[in-house]
Amino acid sequence: MMARRITGIVTALLVVLALLTPGISEGAAKYTILLSMKGPGSGNPFWAAVERGARDTAKAMGVNLVVLAPPAETDVQAQIAQIEDQIAKRVNAIVVAPTDVSALNTTFDKARAQKIPVLFVDTDGTWRSKLTFIGTDNRAGGVMGGQFLCGAFKGKGDVAIITGVMTTQSIRSRVEGARAAMAKCGLHVVAELPANSDRALGQQAMEDILTSKPAVKGIFAANDLMALGAAEAVKARGKAGKVLIVGFDAIPEAAQAILSGTMAASVAQSPYNMGKFGVQNALRALTKKSVAKRIDTGTVLVTKKNAAQYAK
Amino acid sequence: MQLEQAPSIRTTIVRRLAPSYAAMGRFGLILVMLLMMAVLTILQPAYFLTRENLTNIARQISSNSILALGEFAVIVTAGIDLSVGSVMGLSMIVLALAVHADWAAGMAVAVALLAGLGVGLVNGLALTRLHLPHPFIATLATLNIARGATYLLSGGVPISGLPPIVRMWGADDITLLGGTSFPIDFPISFLIVIALYLAMWVLLTKTSTGRHIYAIGGSPKAAQYAGINIPRNLALVYVLSGGLAGIAGILLAGRVNSGYPTAGTGAELDAIAAVIIGGASFFGGRGTAGGVFIGAIIMGLLRNGLNLMNVSVFWQQVMLGFIILLAVYLDVLRRRAMRLES
Repeated sequence: MMARRITGIVTALLVVLALLTPGISEGAAKYTILLSMKGPGSGNPFWAAVERGARDTAKAMGVNLVVLAPPAETDVQAQIAQIEDQIAKRVNAIVVAPTDVSALNTTFDKARAQKIPVLFVDTDGTWRSKLTFIGTDNRAGGVMGGQFLCGAFKGKGDVAIITGVMTTQSIRSRVEGARAAMAKCGLHVVAELPANSDRALGQQAMEDILTSKPAVKGIFAANDLMALGAAEAVKARGKAGKVLIVGFDAIPEAAQAILSGTMAASVAQSPYNMGKFGVQNALRALTKKSVAKRIDTGTVLVTKKNAAQYAK
Repeated sequence: MQLEQAPSIRTTIVRRLAPSYAAMGRFGLILVMLLMMAVLTILQPAYFLTRENLTNIARQISSNSILALGEFAVIVTAGIDLSVGSVMGLSMIVLALAVHADWAAGMAVAVALLAGLGVGLVNGLALTRLHLPHPFIATLATLNIARGATYLLSGGVPISGLPPIVRMWGADDITLLGGTSFPIDFPISFLIVIALYLAMWVLLTKTSTGRHIYAIGGSPKAAQYAGINIPRNLALVYVLSGGLAGIAGILLAGRVNSGYPTAGTGAELDAIAAVIIGGASFFGGRGTAGGVFIGAIIMGLLRNGLNLMNVSVFWQQVMLGFIILLAVYLDVLRRRAMRLES
């Protein structure tokens, strides 16, 4: 009796999951493409936009799309397991934003052994046999953010940088770009604090900066979540609008903060294009068409003038 | 009236069912595992039972099952080791750095293992010499120290490229039954897992040290009166746990051909989950290495099956939570049955 009850519970749970699974009901499309992101779309609007771009494109082109992501951007092992399991299922192409620049290389070797093309989006990897890298020129974006602060302060005064997960190449490039641009125009970078790309830690880092370096009048944060956290800290100190905060990604909430004046600017990537170009070029590869080695998805400086279109 | 009557009826029912409860407790875990395999075979007939997928699972669970084994030894003494995930990351980076400093492969592996044993020794001594009130504290401290050291040593960037002799342990297959008509390519890392579990089983059940470890977890007072050297045995389990985390790091480094500083972040919770699913008690003195092994396999099956079904990781976390509840509930039933029997 006990056995039956437990059997019942486990079976029920698995059946419920099977019903929840979108992949099960996939049609008879010719190709299945895996989009493996660093984080789940429901956790970060950026990944949600990548996913939307990929889904819209896959639907328009009539290919199956499987979207998977590890629970956290640092969970390399989970991403490896997900990709391996999909290789075992013989997806036709892999579009991946890797959680580590090289730790997944052996996994991609397995894909290569099965003649599955691998395209990198958002974050470039060190894997030699990649088909292409589709993403933002993060350094150029960082320079763009740094130059905005240069212009705002006419090249004089103290600024600080809030960095993200520094193991991530895209974050490092942004910080490098911003640091170089600000140093070049004469601004002093007096602090560089890590906040793990996390909002609460961004707030905390900003609180520390306000305490230890009160002269700081500009902040470059390597993503918007940290910038929004920093804006919160500045608001709590009653310094709203006096410290200019520049973020990166132009997520809707950041665009609203720019409109309301708690943030000064953000550098927009085009995550939708990453998903879109990812699926388009995977399909090009599968149909034996040529694919460029590097595909730029572009950056735009978002300020009060153009924030409205990013705010929804 | 009713209040007095209710328990007695209940007791009779439970008493009548006691033997089946006890059997369920013993074989319940294996049953859950087999059931999961059956369901996955039905839901994913084309993929689940392929050799490629099964070796994938074996490789995927290798590092977690080794972390869980060390965690298990600690939990038998009613302790906890929160540092295993960080120690695994530290061992990976130490290995990668040593290799890149042109150390001989054997030396690099040895120093990675030493890093694990060293942190384990610190945990053990903090508990027995510094008399920190609970192992939670010492290992929470070393969790942070080891992770910080990992970032400092690596400069926050992955260190990639390991020689084949180092990679082999985590990445390669060995051909078993090569001469026969049924050659099987078996992941070396999973063979190591099996060997380590056997060694731990022998240590815990066939040696006086093992009996002492169980005794300490069962009742520290009684163990003390029986003349068991508690500090020495406690230090030993933490050293074992650290050393096993070091081995897990060496295997994972081989598997990914790299040491990356975020490796093993949060892995201690997966290890603890495997131990709990495997039937060990947080209050110490109970549990078997075999149970923990099945616990780790159940977790691996769950992840693999849900990955094959393209299920979001959030559902995977929800399911893992339910499996933990189910496993512990099974254990509660068994204990109740055993109390009624005696």
